[in-house]
This record gives sequence, structure tokens and C-alpha cells, in this order.
Amino acid sequence: MATNPTTIGWGGETEFEKRRGVSAVEIRGGFAQAHVSHLEGDLVQARLEVLKAIGDKGISLDFLKLTPSGLSFLIKQSECDALEQVLTEVNAHHSIKPSRAIVLVHAVNIRDEEGMLAAIMHAAMSSSAKVDHISDMHDRLLMVVDAEDAERLRAKLEESGLGGSHAN
Amino acid sequence: MRIKVMKFGGTSVATPEARLQSAMRVVSAREQGFSPVVVVSAIGRKGAPYATDTLLNLLKEIDPNVEPDPRELDLLIACGEILSSVIFAHTLKTLGHPAQAFRGGQAGIRTDGVYGNARIIGINPVSLFRSVEQGYIPVVCGFQGVAVMGDGAPGGELTTLGRGGSDTTGAAIGAAMRADAVEIFTDVDGIKTADPDYVKKAPTLRTVTYDEVAEMAHLGAKVVHPRAAEIAMHHDIPLWVKNTFSDEPGTEIVRREQFPGRRVTGVSHTGKLVYLQFDLAEASEAHRTTLETRIYELASQHNVNLYMLNISPSGTGFAVPRDQYPVVKDLLDGLVVPLDEGGRVVYLFQIGPASREVETQAKLLGPLGEIRRVRAALTEGTTMVSLIGHEYMQQAGLFHAVLKTLADNQVPVLQTSDSDFSLSVLVPESDAHRAVRALHDQFGLAEVV
Repeated sequence: MATNPTTIGWGGETEFEKRRGVSAVEIRGGFAQAHVSHLEGDLVQARLEVLKAIGDKGISLDFLKLTPSGLSFLIKQSECDALEQVLTEVNAHHSIKPSRAIVLVHAVNIRDEEGMLAAIMHAAMSSSAKVDHISDMHDRLLMVVDAEDAERLRAKLEESGLGGSHAN
Repeated sequence: MRIKVMKFGGTSVATPEARLQSAMRVVSAREQGFSPVVVVSAIGRKGAPYATDTLLNLLKEIDPNVEPDPRELDLLIACGEILSSVIFAHTLKTLGHPAQAFRGGQAGIRTDGVYGNARIIGINPVSLFRSVEQGYIPVVCGFQGVAVMGDGAPGGELTTLGRGGSDTTGAAIGAAMRADAVEIFTDVDGIKTADPDYVKKAPTLRTVTYDEVAEMAHLGAKVVHPRAAEIAMHHDIPLWVKNTFSDEPGTEIVRREQFPGRRVTGVSHTGKLVYLQFDLAEASEAHRTTLETRIYELASQHNVNLYMLNISPSGTGFAVPRDQYPVVKDLLDGLVVPLDEGGRVVYLFQIGPASREVETQAKLLGPLGEIRRVRAALTEGTTMVSLIGHEYMQQAGLFHAVLKTLADNQVPVLQTSDSDFSLSVLVPESDAHRAVRALHDQFGLAEVV
């Protein structure tokens, strides 16, 4: 693995830093994506009410994004029913898409590598996989797609030279 | 041989008095039985005669409109560390401790060939070991190496390592020499829970994990560079951040197994960003994908860096660094994308309020088909504030706690992003102080040690 350095010994040479560029593309399954929209009144307060209700039920959410009329996030697939119940109780207009997979593109310092996130997004948008949700961190980009599309998206990234040196 | 790598930052070598204090720390380490290897930054920070910015200004003064060649630029800015290493070595010599100055290449540091932002690909520390064996204290220039040519042999091309390069040099030499410890000396007592300019009484963390410090550094904390933390982590080299000018114990950076438990570590802030949210609600599903593809294709072709990406049924959005915003505006404001939908549809992009040019364009395009605007809401002057934690980010209710704290403090949140170790919010720059202080208080960070 290119990111796993090895020391060759006294006076020898050591591979030190993670190499720039995409190091791996990883697929994780077992998620559902929730989209809450058409929140009415004070949008900030309405979002907080939805989030409080979810938190009070002990549902852990990931990769929250604020949308123009609500919010979007991921939960574990196993929590779909509980979330459905909460959102119905608070009367929030929503959709929950089960069987989602996360395609994670790992690259060190990804936000500061010129144009890299845009290049990955361009490749993803050009694929036939519909990307429902995205989020970026300093070392990876996450894209949420239908579980059946995940491999197709990975193939497109590889074809675009963004598949990493050790995609799993 | 117990190697201790001691890296001194700009303020620690800025004046003869500071250099003497730094040198005394090296002498003290030697007296404790260590073989010190010193890494130095350039002398002083912005404005100092040999600081990197001052050297860069030498070229700008000739003609600010002509971009310097990256190769020449690296040769120039590496001079700051060379001067610093020679002066520091001589300071040690005057204290009765023979020392040898080394350029990055002489110390065996080999890099890729990316001028201005090279990555270390290998170190052969044989010259440093020899120096130590002969009774010298090696003093290595931080921030620089030598590029490897196509055939794998060092080609003598000097390269610099980019931001935080001297920390990176320190950690890499520590790893190559299998040091007992790498100590990063600076002018603060260690890693704080927040920027002391924002939270005056932010305490110093006594222990923090590599993951946490790398996350903090990536998200704005300036005490140690993330590349240094990552190298130390991969090679399992103990890393410390200490104050040259005080006897405070500093911060020890350890593996996560050595410091388990759920906690909030700190609040950081970074970036001068411009946020763009594209409204694609008027576009059909097929057109929407084409339009999004076009946006990202153009951003990619022009090397635009993106932050806080998001996508939803009503559109897509991202933040860009403020200095790249003019490029984005040039690319997208007034962009025309003609598409078919039973008849001709022409999409016209508009960033922020419509300019006269965009309105003129709309009139000219009228005869070609139906005009649909792709409006991007524009928020200038934004920054990212992040809560960093360990085993904390998956807690139910955390998003609510963060967003409520900010709402209660009248801080508008434009977007969020989260990872295993952090939760970031994009807020107006003018509210960043308030946001950092509010989160610092809410999560009890004043009590953290």
C-alpha cells in the first residue's frame, strides 16, 4: 500500500508521506438517505426541531447537509423505521431512500489539491450513477448512490484516472 | 544512540536572544544523554529581513505583474532556512558544542519534483548519522529537499515542501533516524483548545492523539502541520509541541490506543471562503445532470478548490477560496448551456444579482429558445469553524447541539460537513469569533487539560 511506509534500515531510505492524488476508492453499504424538505416558517428553528426530535429518539445521523428548504443526511439502514416514525410525528415532509451505498474517495489533503474535488465530481456526474448526496472532508470525498450503482461509479472513477492505487 | 529531533520555528530563531534560548535547549538535551538533531525554520516571521515573505518580495519589487518561475522561487525561498541553519550551528559552536549545518539535500531528503509543494519520497540519513558519530550536532534546513529525476537518481534540483514544511522535515528526519522523540518548539505552550486570539483563556492540551492533531491542523490550528503529525503517526515516533520560551510541559501527541475515550478536543477555524448555492429546480432531471456536470467540469479544468460540497433535489453548492472566486465568476456568470427538451431550452447562469452583461445576454438569447436562469446565491466572506473530538461525532443529538448553540448566539450557518473526528460549519467570517467562543463554552473546553 503506497500510504503505508516501510523503513529499510540504517542508512537506508524510507517512504514517508502519503502520495498525492487518489489513494483508494472504498464502498460501504447499509445506509439510508433521508431528505427533509418544504419546512415552513423560520427555517433555522424548523431544522432544529427536526434534529431535536431525531436526537431525542437516539438516532445517530451522519453527513448532514443543509438544503434550501430543509436538510439531508444519512442514517444506518436499520434505523429507517425509527426515523420514518419521528419524521411523521413532527409532520415533516420527507423521503427516505433505503439501500444506499457510500462511495468514499480517499486522497490526502483533497480540498487543497487544485481542482481535485471538482475532477472527482465531474467524473461522478458523467457516470450513469445518480449521486444523491455528497460531503467532503480534508482527506476524502463521500458520494451516496443506490447500492446497485456503487460499482459503476467506482469503475467510472478508475476510468478517469481517479481510482487510486489500491482500490478495494 | 538516542536521537532527539528538535525543530525550532521562526520566532524561536528570530533574534540572538531567542536563538540562544533555543540553543540552550539543545545543549540541555545533549547533557541528558540525547544526540540532538536540529531542524530550523527561516529566521523570523512575516516582515523579518530573512523571512520567506521578505524574500518573495524581492522578486515582486522587480515587477509584480511577472510571475516568478517556480524553480527559481524555490531556490530563493530556501535561502531563509540556509541562513538560519548556519547561524544556529554557529550559535551552538560558540557555546562549546560543535555543529554542522545541512541543506535538505545534504541531509538526504529526496522529494518528488513539484516545486513549491514537494512531498518527501525518501530520506537517506547517512550524513546525519555520520555527523552525530563524529561529535557534531547536525542543524538541518527545514522546508527543503532535492528532487529525484526520472531515472531515480538525485538530480540536484532543490525543492521546497510547501506550508508547514519545516515541521514535516522534523518529523521525517525523526522517522528516518528512528528518533526517541521529535519536539516542535514554538512560541505557545502547546496545542490549545482554540486559537488564543479568539478564546483568551483556551487551555493547553496535555495529551492529544495523532488523529485529533491532524484533524485540528487540517481545520485551521496552526501549531503543528498535519503532514508532520501524519508522518509521526505512520512511523510511531513520539511527537511533542513545546514552548521555547517557557518551562511548561507542552503537548504530547500519542496513538489513539494510548489515549482512549470520548471527548471534545477543541474548536478551530480556517479559510476565507465564498459560498455558492446553485438553484437547479427549474431544470428537468436530465438537464440537471448535464448542468451539474458542466459546473464541475469547468471547476476541474481551471483547478478550482472546492469545500463544503452539497447536492440536493433543488441544486448543488460549494465554497471556493476567496482568491479563486474571480475565476469562478468568470467561468460561470453568463455561462450559456443550450439543451433540447422538445424544443430549444437555453440555460443562462447567473452568480449573485444579475449583472448588466447577463441581462443583455438574456435579451440576445431570447430568439434561440426558452431562457431558464440557473441562479447561484452568493455569500462572500465566509469561513469554516470546526468542533474536533475523539469518539464523539457519532453521538445522537450532536448536530442539534451544535446548530442550536450557534442559533442561540445569532450565528447563521450556511452549510455543514462532518467526519469521524470533526463537525464543521460554514459561517460568515464576521461571526467566526462568536461561533468559536460559543462552541468552546458549550462543550466545556475551558475545563479540558
